[in-house]
Amino acid sequence: MEESPLHQFELQNWIPISLGGFDISINKAVVFMWIVVLVAAVLMVMAGSARKLVPGKLQSLAEMMVDFIRSMILDTMGKEGMRFFPLIASLFVFILFSNLIGLIPGSYTVTSQIIVTAVFSFLVYGLSLVMGFMLHGAKFLGILVPPGTPGWLVPLMIPIEIISQVARPVSLAVRLFANMTAGHVMLAVLFSLTIGGGLLIGWLPFAFTVAIYGLEFGIAFIQAYIFSILTCVYLGDAFHLHGHDEHAH
Amino acid sequence: MGFRMAPPQDPLYAGLGQAIRIATDLLAALIVGGALGWVCDTYVFDSTPWGMIIGLLMGIVAGMRNAYRSIQRWPKT
Repeated sequence: MEESPLHQFELQNWIPISLGGFDISINKAVVFMWIVVLVAAVLMVMAGSARKLVPGKLQSLAEMMVDFIRSMILDTMGKEGMRFFPLIASLFVFILFSNLIGLIPGSYTVTSQIIVTAVFSFLVYGLSLVMGFMLHGAKFLGILVPPGTPGWLVPLMIPIEIISQVARPVSLAVRLFANMTAGHVMLAVLFSLTIGGGLLIGWLPFAFTVAIYGLEFGIAFIQAYIFSILTCVYLGDAFHLHGHDEHAH
Repeated sequence: MGFRMAPPQDPLYAGLGQAIRIATDLLAALIVGGALGWVCDTYVFDSTPWGMIIGLLMGIVAGMRNAYRSIQRWPKT
């Protein structure tokens, strides 16, 4: 059991493909991304096709999820945010399913690759910038100067605000990636201690493995929730320039 | 044991989520500030330690601001 706990994140090219100088080989992460999309799509279509008045188990689970995402959007963005429902629901479902499928032993957590989370977060942040400039034009640059800033502070506030704006997608990407990676490293270390410890002391790390596994199940939900609610918040900021102070809930 | 769709509504998990958010808010701004300072140092001004020092300081301030902003937005329970 002298295997590195980081070994689980290594990717081998299963089918090497190179297209125009880019390496688009098929590896474990790609295959699991397909599996996640397939499982999520099949479950949601199955849940949605029944359309019973008194929902079954699957349908009521899907209805709860849709209702949850809906109230999240209404709370943060208000009514006009509902046009982003498909985007936010897909992000939520994809992240949730890849976190949960990653918890099955032997599978791969797609969200433990920082490039996956970074693409999502920069896409969302780029969308919020485009929305902001489309709605407000050059006035959108006003987010760099918070309301109520004294004039002599403006030259100091602008670089600080630029950093805090750039930090938003970075923190979004790093948060999801780091939580997933850390959880799986922790599980790997504890489980290798269990195997190394034998019967005499091995039960102790094993008990921790079970406990942390349960915690990771909750983290899978929390991370999907945080990612999608922050998507709502950033898109909402683009809608209401400086508006969030008045209708803070 | 009731299974709920939304652990974020559970107080324990809500608190955990808030802690995770603040920690990464602080960290990410520090990384971005330091990186911007380093880029200024190496490629723009050739002013080696100073850009990164100022960038890190501004990163700390920006991280605090981001953390403060996300606290302000939390629903009051």
